[in-house]
Amino acid sequence: MEVALFWIFAALMLGFGAAVIFLKSPVSSALSLVVSFLGLAALFLLLDAFFIGIIQVLVYAGAVMVLFLFIIMLLDLKTERARKINLPAMIGGLMVVVGFVALLVKLLPSFDIAKPALARPVNDVASVGMLLFSDYNLPFQVIGVLLLVATVGVVLLSRKELK
Amino acid sequence: MIVPYALEISVVCVGIFLLMVDAFLKTDKTTIAWTGVVVLLAIFGLTFALGPMPKGVIPEAFYVLDPTALFFKRFLLLATVLTLILSIDYSPVYQKFVPAAVPQAGLGEFFTLPVFACAGMMFMVSANDFIMIFVALELVTITFYVLVASMRKNQGSLEAGVKYLILGALSTGFLVYGITWLYGITGYTSLDGIQSVLPRVPEQYQPSVLFGLGLVLVALGFKVAAVPFQFWVPDVYQGAPTPVTAYLSVASKAAGFVVLLRVLEPFVTTPTFQVKVFGILTILAAVTLILGNLAAMSQQNLKRLLAYSSIAHAGYLLVAVASLSAPGAKVAIGFYLGGYLLMTFLAFLVLLNVAKVSGGDDIRDFNGLGKRSPVLALALLISMLSLAGLPFTIGFLGKFFIFEAALASGQYVLVVLGAITVACGFYYYLKVVMAMYWQPPAPSATNIQVSPFGQFLIALLVLAIIIFGIFPQPILGALTHL
Repeated sequence: MEVALFWIFAALMLGFGAAVIFLKSPVSSALSLVVSFLGLAALFLLLDAFFIGIIQVLVYAGAVMVLFLFIIMLLDLKTERARKINLPAMIGGLMVVVGFVALLVKLLPSFDIAKPALARPVNDVASVGMLLFSDYNLPFQVIGVLLLVATVGVVLLSRKELK
Repeated sequence: MIVPYALEISVVCVGIFLLMVDAFLKTDKTTIAWTGVVVLLAIFGLTFALGPMPKGVIPEAFYVLDPTALFFKRFLLLATVLTLILSIDYSPVYQKFVPAAVPQAGLGEFFTLPVFACAGMMFMVSANDFIMIFVALELVTITFYVLVASMRKNQGSLEAGVKYLILGALSTGFLVYGITWLYGITGYTSLDGIQSVLPRVPEQYQPSVLFGLGLVLVALGFKVAAVPFQFWVPDVYQGAPTPVTAYLSVASKAAGFVVLLRVLEPFVTTPTFQVKVFGILTILAAVTLILGNLAAMSQQNLKRLLAYSSIAHAGYLLVAVASLSAPGAKVAIGFYLGGYLLMTFLAFLVLLNVAKVSGGDDIRDFNGLGKRSPVLALALLISMLSLAGLPFTIGFLGKFFIFEAALASGQYVLVVLGAITVACGFYYYLKVVMAMYWQPPAPSATNIQVSPFGQFLIALLVLAIIIFGIFPQPILGALTHL
């Protein structure tokens, strides 16, 4: 059962991931990305990582992508025109991808997949919060500074006329 | 007792304070930058009160304050101070390219963001855990995305921003993916933990460990501008505001190298991985040396030339990284970066002052600089000679220590390659010198006035390059415990 579900959701994720790249209209690309994220969330759930799965749906498929769609519609982006294919870049890119996949195919069989991966699953909001504010407090605070910088940066880059 | 990361906390507080000042200050905004300069210099002084702390004393698992970290924190504070001073000089140009409703809008952010980047890089050089490395690296990179793209009415700056953002995001992806592989096999994100597990990794998992490390190396190679991850460098360096270019090429590179050293430490001390890791590093160093130097030879724009020269210098530093088995390699890296700070900031200071008057930063804008402004020409001459590695400059000693370390660890091929590429270097650095002294100035060219403080700073950097080039002991003394 789990295996079948895995394949279904993985195919869903990859298929719609490819659609993000190949579809010409930005709105359809963004909507395909939402479905791809949902597939990823389902994979997290299958791995018993409920918290990450839910966050994936709430934050990425929900908030971030809705924002994306808003911006695409506000800017009224037109359908992408067909571009000429840049052959050397294409070959270079393909070589990197093929090499990467070949390495993965070579490396993955060395793992014993039947073993449970997580020794100490952290699955509810309370324990994630406890970890963030105790063990991982320092990096968490640095993220606070990061968000401040990002806010300042957004204002600096997007305001029509700076005051 | 002082918390170990008091320095970073104070730098972040300085940044927040400057943001507040910016919100309420109605008069001259350069006051913000001057305040930043003074306070950061005070924090620089404080670093001497705070000695290195042994690992046991620091309760945090993510943070170390060893002599390397402390040396580079001082380095980064100095680089930030110099960047702020350059930014003040650059502010008239910056204002031309910012859509502003009131005069001097946007300058406050331009002066404040480097301070936050400085805090991020100070965390980076102390980070001892992949989570901390990742978070600090992102803080720095996101600040730089904003800084690079901030001249919104300049197409070059926007193009640079977009390229940097896309390639930077890609490299972040590689970093995270690499970290998950290493975590998946060793079960640790902390470098100490990985160090303790590595010798016991069963043979079937060893290729996977190397795969993970390779992915991390891709991301770090991007940060330090190593070939083949250098595509972003020329465009971003050329398009970014000049002080940001200088900051990016000195501080971001230095912080990247410290992280590289920390990440490599467990792998190069474990016999099972040693040979392969050094092999990868040797190849990386060789291609970076060759490509950086060869591509620099045909450049007609000084900012682009300095970008390729920055790649070439990353190559020399990678030679030292590939020679880590020699005892002097870490000292050589610290010394080289120290020298690189002095000569790069000197070059950009002159470039900025000339470009402000000539209106461009092509090499032909420097034609006849020897007649138009002898002081600037002499300063640029010394900076170029030091970047090329002429004896009696700090650049020569930097290369000397690196080649010494490479010889001690038996990297003969890299030493030969290094010697050949140094000769290439002389060609393109002297091209700038030729333009300054042998080409007649353009008929419209005017003489260039430099502010008294600018002159003082130029004199200081020139003296430092020559004095430390003859008596390197003060810097070496600060580096002995590495």
